[in-house]
Amino acid sequence: MSAANNATLVVEDLYTAYDKADVLEGVSLAAEAGRITCLLGSNGSGKTTLIRSILGLTRPNRGRIAFADAEITGLPPHKIVARGIACIPEGRKVFPKLTVEENLRLGAYQEASGQVVAERIEEAYEAFPQLRERRDQLAGTMSGGEQAMVSIGRGLMSAPKLLLIDEPSLGLAPLLVKQNFDIIRRINERGITVFLVEQNVRQTLEVAHYGYVLSKGRVVAGGRADELAATQEVHEAYFG
Amino acid sequence: MDVGLFGQYVMNGLMLGMMYALVAVGFTLFFGVLDVINFAHGDSLMVGAFTGLATYLGLRELGVVWPAVQVPVVLAAATAAMAVAGALIARYLVLPLKSAPALNTLLITLMLGTVLRESIRLFYPAGANPKPFPALLPAGAVELGNFSLRADNMLMLSAGLVVIVAVHLVINRTKLGLAIRAVAQDEETARTMGIDFTRIVLVTFAIGSALAAFAGIMNGLYYNEINFGIGLLLGVIGFSSAIIGGLGNIYGAIIGGFLFAALQTIGAVALPFASAYKDVFAFAVVILIMAIRPTGLLSEKVSERV
Ligand SMILES: Nc1ncnc2c1ncn2[C@@H]1O[C@H](COP(=O)(O)OP(=O)(O)O)[C@@H](O)[C@H]1O
Ligand SMILES: [Mg+2]
Repeated sequence: MSAANNATLVVEDLYTAYDKADVLEGVSLAAEAGRITCLLGSNGSGKTTLIRSILGLTRPNRGRIAFADAEITGLPPHKIVARGIACIPEGRKVFPKLTVEENLRLGAYQEASGQVVAERIEEAYEAFPQLRERRDQLAGTMSGGEQAMVSIGRGLMSAPKLLLIDEPSLGLAPLLVKQNFDIIRRINERGITVFLVEQNVRQTLEVAHYGYVLSKGRVVAGGRADELAATQEVHEAYFG
Repeated sequence: MDVGLFGQYVMNGLMLGMMYALVAVGFTLFFGVLDVINFAHGDSLMVGAFTGLATYLGLRELGVVWPAVQVPVVLAAATAAMAVAGALIARYLVLPLKSAPALNTLLITLMLGTVLRESIRLFYPAGANPKPFPALLPAGAVELGNFSLRADNMLMLSAGLVVIVAVHLVINRTKLGLAIRAVAQDEETARTMGIDFTRIVLVTFAIGSALAAFAGIMNGLYYNEINFGIGLLLGVIGFSSAIIGGLGNIYGAIIGGFLFAALQTIGAVALPFASAYKDVFAFAVVILIMAIRPTGLLSEKVSERV
């Protein structure tokens, strides 16, 4: 099978803590290859902590993370990225004092071929023509919506098999939020597995194939997105 | 003041400024990638100078007496040795303390500096005494009125300039430099781009320490003498220069280095009493600058370094 069909992420019984108290308490879930899987949960439920654990930024205390049938638990981030995982982090996290193009270039840091990098930058400019006009502008001087484009473009620069997206609609105007979800759908249609963390329940479940609900560091519900929309847990996780 | 004397002062100021700038760039690079101050940096300069001297003596034993061979080999040995030393310092002393309070790093590098100084004093043959440093550069001079423009000084200034331009190009035009800047701005996001953080830190410490060794050789060639204590004052001055320039900003560090040398020179010329007070004068002005602009001349927000 092709690499994309192999790009399943599996998290098993994961415990992650920052200091002492566990933030994640036995999280198990899977993001199936070629699909959009979302993780819903209110503020502080541990969504970003899970992303950090997958990326190797915060080491889990227990449990395992596997991607494409290989264990990646405990690897440093650059080795995890080398497996074909990329992220669009919470709050975009563009490098403010680097230009738009330098930001994009960093997304393909592990790509050795300068020509491939140039082609991917070209693709990013085709997807976001505004970025081409502003290629030499410092990313920190751009609007929130433009920074979101830089962050998305940068996340695709490594041609990842799996893209982790953490609250992309946070802080965006409603119109841009809708565009963002369209972009996520298109990314997935290119064959990239997407693991999407969100608080925006309705639009997220519309775009996702599968979903999980995280509450206080535990998965309290999971299933097909259309079925999940009707369940009690989704509502409780937010309002309960 | 007559033109000849003025010329000497300017030349001396430029030579000192170049050395300070090279040391300051190291401080600012280390701070950029790791938010630490390496107080052993001045002593790395000193060990670099001694490595150069030992290499020279070794070459002489082997019968290699041609400056055209001696100069590059001495420079290469000193910078390579300190590059390795810098990477080792980062790997085994600084990185392990990454999550500890910054004061611990400060303390451990201060202690390392003392160990380096005392090791040279105790273990280098007759290391407690000043050592003559060979004049390896051409001795010629161009007489401009009563100012003699010395070839060796011009060579050193040019070489220093080339090194600074090279650092600029590496930082701004290469993939390595892009990674260094990314790590300086946002370590975690840089890591999620696939950058091997540890490797970038080690390489940055290697570059900074090699620059210090280069400055150490310049120091030896300029004064024709080195001793185990030269790193102390040069370290403090380099650190001050980096601070005046705005810690984390490479160009600020370079400007800071030349500014400090200018202050010393002005102090030496303008003060009516002994020029021994030039350092007091320069440091006093630095304190004044810090009082007016606490984050340095080219200050930037912490999140926007390098
Ligand atoms: N860097 C950190 N250090 C210590 N605690 C943290 C850190 N980041 C998050 N936390 C704590 O972990 C919990 C989960 O946070 P997070 O994973 O960011 O939640 P979410 O992304 O779902 O809003 C919160 O209680 C938060 O205070
Ligand atoms: Mg979050």
